[in-house]
Amino acid sequence: MAHIKVQRRSMRPEEWTDLRFNWLKRHIYSYQSEIDCLEIRDARQTGENSYEFYSDSYRPLHRGDMYFTPDGTAFIRGRVSVPHEIRDKKVCLKLKTAAEITVKINGKYVGGVDPNREKINIYPYVSLDEPLEIEMVGYNRSKPDDERNPESLSVRGCRQIFEGCYFVVVDEQIQSLVYDFETLINIRDSEDFDEDYRHFLTKELNSAMNLVSFDDDGSVSGAEEAGKYIEKNIYENKTYKGSGKVALVGHSHLDIAYYWRRIHAVQKNMRTVLIQLRLMDEYPELKYTHTQPYLYETLEKYYPEIFEELKEKIKSGNFEPVGAMYVEPDCNIPSAESLIRQCYYGQKTYKRMFGFRVNSAWLPDVFGNSWILPQILKKSGVDYFVSNKMSTWNDTNRFPHNSFIWRGIDGSEVIASVPPTHFITWNEPSQIADNWNAFEDKDTGEETLNMFGYGDGGSGCTEEMLELYKREKRLSVMPEINIEGGKEYLEKNLEATKDKLETWDGELYLEMHRGTFTTKSLLKKLNRKLEYKFRNAELLSVLSGQDNQSEIDSLYKLFLINQFHDILPGSHIRPVFEDAVKDLEKIDSSLDKIISSTGDENYFNTLNFSRDEVEFVEDENGNTERLGKNGFFTSTGLASLTGGKIENRNTDDYYWFSTSGGKVKTPYYEIIFSPDGSITSLTEISDGRQWADGEFNKIKLFDDRPGNYDAWDILPNYRDKEFSYDVKEKLSLKFADSESAEFSCVLKLKNSEWKRTVRIFRRSRGIEVEENVDWHEKHVLAKSEFNVNILARKARADLTAGFTERDTSSNTSWQKARFETCFHNWADISETGAGLAIITESKYGIGFDKNRMSLSLLRSTERPDVISDMGKHDFCYLIYPHDKGFDESEINKKALIYNVPLVKTDAVNNILPSFSPLYIQCVKRSDDGSVVVRLSEQDGRRGKVKLDRHVRILNMLEDDMKAETDEIDYSPSEIITLSLPNPEKRA
Amino acid sequence: MEEKIKEYVVNFIAPRLEGDGGWVEFKGFDGRILSLRFRGECSKCLILSRCADWIREMIKKEFDLDVKVDCERKRPYFQDV
Repeated sequence: MAHIKVQRRSMRPEEWTDLRFNWLKRHIYSYQSEIDCLEIRDARQTGENSYEFYSDSYRPLHRGDMYFTPDGTAFIRGRVSVPHEIRDKKVCLKLKTAAEITVKINGKYVGGVDPNREKINIYPYVSLDEPLEIEMVGYNRSKPDDERNPESLSVRGCRQIFEGCYFVVVDEQIQSLVYDFETLINIRDSEDFDEDYRHFLTKELNSAMNLVSFDDDGSVSGAEEAGKYIEKNIYENKTYKGSGKVALVGHSHLDIAYYWRRIHAVQKNMRTVLIQLRLMDEYPELKYTHTQPYLYETLEKYYPEIFEELKEKIKSGNFEPVGAMYVEPDCNIPSAESLIRQCYYGQKTYKRMFGFRVNSAWLPDVFGNSWILPQILKKSGVDYFVSNKMSTWNDTNRFPHNSFIWRGIDGSEVIASVPPTHFITWNEPSQIADNWNAFEDKDTGEETLNMFGYGDGGSGCTEEMLELYKREKRLSVMPEINIEGGKEYLEKNLEATKDKLETWDGELYLEMHRGTFTTKSLLKKLNRKLEYKFRNAELLSVLSGQDNQSEIDSLYKLFLINQFHDILPGSHIRPVFEDAVKDLEKIDSSLDKIISSTGDENYFNTLNFSRDEVEFVEDENGNTERLGKNGFFTSTGLASLTGGKIENRNTDDYYWFSTSGGKVKTPYYEIIFSPDGSITSLTEISDGRQWADGEFNKIKLFDDRPGNYDAWDILPNYRDKEFSYDVKEKLSLKFADSESAEFSCVLKLKNSEWKRTVRIFRRSRGIEVEENVDWHEKHVLAKSEFNVNILARKARADLTAGFTERDTSSNTSWQKARFETCFHNWADISETGAGLAIITESKYGIGFDKNRMSLSLLRSTERPDVISDMGKHDFCYLIYPHDKGFDESEINKKALIYNVPLVKTDAVNNILPSFSPLYIQCVKRSDDGSVVVRLSEQDGRRGKVKLDRHVRILNMLEDDMKAETDEIDYSPSEIITLSLPNPEKRA
Repeated sequence: MEEKIKEYVVNFIAPRLEGDGGWVEFKGFDGRILSLRFRGECSKCLILSRCADWIREMIKKEFDLDVKVDCERKRPYFQDV
């Protein structure tokens, strides 16, 4: 039973002030007249700007009626005249709502209301003497994300009570006094301020409020006197001193999809932009930053009138596009090429729309940032990186800097700002003081960055925030504050102090949301597959002389949207997942068409090295099945960028391996399997080396209840509780031919059936595991674990353009916190002369602990998606023990062969040098028709590549030539973009 | 009729609730009482009764049938926020 804490005591002075402050707020409006002729039509949004309606006509809407439906949009209208007695006044429209509503009057967008604002100034935009045609469109935000605003919490839900719509006139004196009290009460109650000053405020606010009389007839008087008292005794009092300098940057973080679908972000964005434009009309001092070129595109497409107004406000310096990336993507899982395209399309869009590019990456909410980012940003015209998450969300360690140099894997450097506090604040004095107090780089002598504005359709800054700012600026106890633009802040402060800043050389790992490497397994699988399919489609288009770059560009942009940081990580409601799968399947089939248009007679190797590894070749007449496709295993030996016919020459001769005495002997190993498909012994034939040291290829099931951020988090103690399972069918030989053999077993979990197939090969050291799972567990994390007989304090993890080393020990809290990390195509643990790699085609989460590699396979979370990951999953991975050192084992090549399948095509004309030992990330057409090639050094080496022709070295935006050369100098983890002039002519 | 009501809940009502982060499952219909199980955000909604009223109204409109909606909340084991 819950109990209310009862306090039997007389009211304290500050409580008496608070009580009267609430009375005062009742008198903000000196005039109020209800608009009682409104009509409503309920609808549901079906597309970016399309709706299905529940009825053919409007129905009357009265105060007290229920309005909005689940996932609903409401169209509200009315024709009304402004009462004569207020036509010479500053007339506003007032509508208190939990929804997000835009208002048009006589065809003009006048503003919007939402849970954070209830009033729209209409007098500057319409003639009050004429009848007003009011049109409103509202989307109900049943799950407001600014839950820190208690008022929005109390009204959430799908169905709302209409509280009436009014013409109002504000009593400016009382409104001003309310803002005074709001500002000062916040300071009085905040421990971020000096105790003596707070005591002073308690006394003075009581004295000021004593000048206000609340009469029994409901009227109030004395506001003017109280205001003067506060002016003289508080604002003019400079005895108490604050410290620090805080730049206030207006911002509204907007998730493109989360508890709403992507289609809703179109209107959320429009409302946010509109509301900020209207606020700028009233407060010209407002400078507001807005990210994501994709959102600007939707505004341009569906709301050209607002977009034109936006362009004017950009010119006046009030509205500032920031963030070079097309959307704010997840920055762990996307490959290097995807992150490059985020910048490429983002910058290109800004340039086309506004004539300029931006010099910042603005990613306040992303769940950690890959070490490959600094180079990508720097080569895309980005000098500054902004992200809040590490300072406010880390669960173990406090990130040591707020302003610093971020050094990338290749040595590239960007200037980084990780603001000390959250990216959604509402400009309260305590939030500003908290920001300064938490600032770790005070010794630079510069300002700290504090973003203010509601997010996710809460529509950014408010009148209240700007009124508070005016007052805060006059209080000597506050830090020195200024509203600044994003670029202005970064250039003024960080550029000036960059020589004093410390350097962070490593990834920006977020010590939270570690489950997002694994949640929504299908999205991860499609992501990996499509990243390489884009590579193949672009490359084959160029080699076959087709120009379909514009089609590929639009598919790429759709793909990039689906890498948004609440889409690809899996932290969203069910309809968002369904939309994403639909988008990705559409991209998949469109890319297939592009690839198949280049012919289908031969197989082609799009990799720039020969395929000297056994791989699965899809063939409908193939004698084996893998991941639901027929085919056969072979080592094709196809040379770099060449094609040819591949025939299935496999025979029934499987005498290359033997099974006896519970042991399986292959040309490489002697293996002892357990009935559950795990390996108890893996002995090297050549030298008797044992690879397994405990559980190896063992499925492990852990209780996975993070308690709060369900889809996001895996807790550090996830190993505390483990579940067992039964073996329904013991491992047995199911198939064998002259190249491969398959053993399979079936596991029975509490609610799921799990088939495991283990493949061994005649001509490969790899051992492949295919998992076919009908997954119906709840709050279970499934992993496959490998205790490897290797002594190494570092493991290596692929980042798609280089690799990082991760500690296998947990001596420090920083090492401990990284119990689950992101990797891409492979992870490897090696000692001198030998090691073992796990190569995957769809998995991204792994933990290293001493000699254990713990590969995350599946999760089963319930929030925000009740049936997340339920159903069938098919995926593979390759266990690859190597009897040479890592440097000699060509793990990158093996992982690329594993991930980049042979494609069926013909009539391609190889016009490219091989560029070996660099790897081709992409081959595409640039806007001017030239061929662009992107290369990456991924093995940690330095060297030169001599070419048979001159090439132009470009930036990643493909428009700034750095050099012309026939010799490429490369260094570890470097990504090089170049163009080949007229390669077709040469060929 | 039970099948028709079930189909309506699955194909019409549920997608709308899911659009708001909610979740509804059909439990049964005995001719008068429509039993539903609410999960996701619905399981902790302070104003679920309003939604139940809306479902009742929609069924009345679609089938001209007066039903009583019986709501079961299936709350998951994590922090309620």
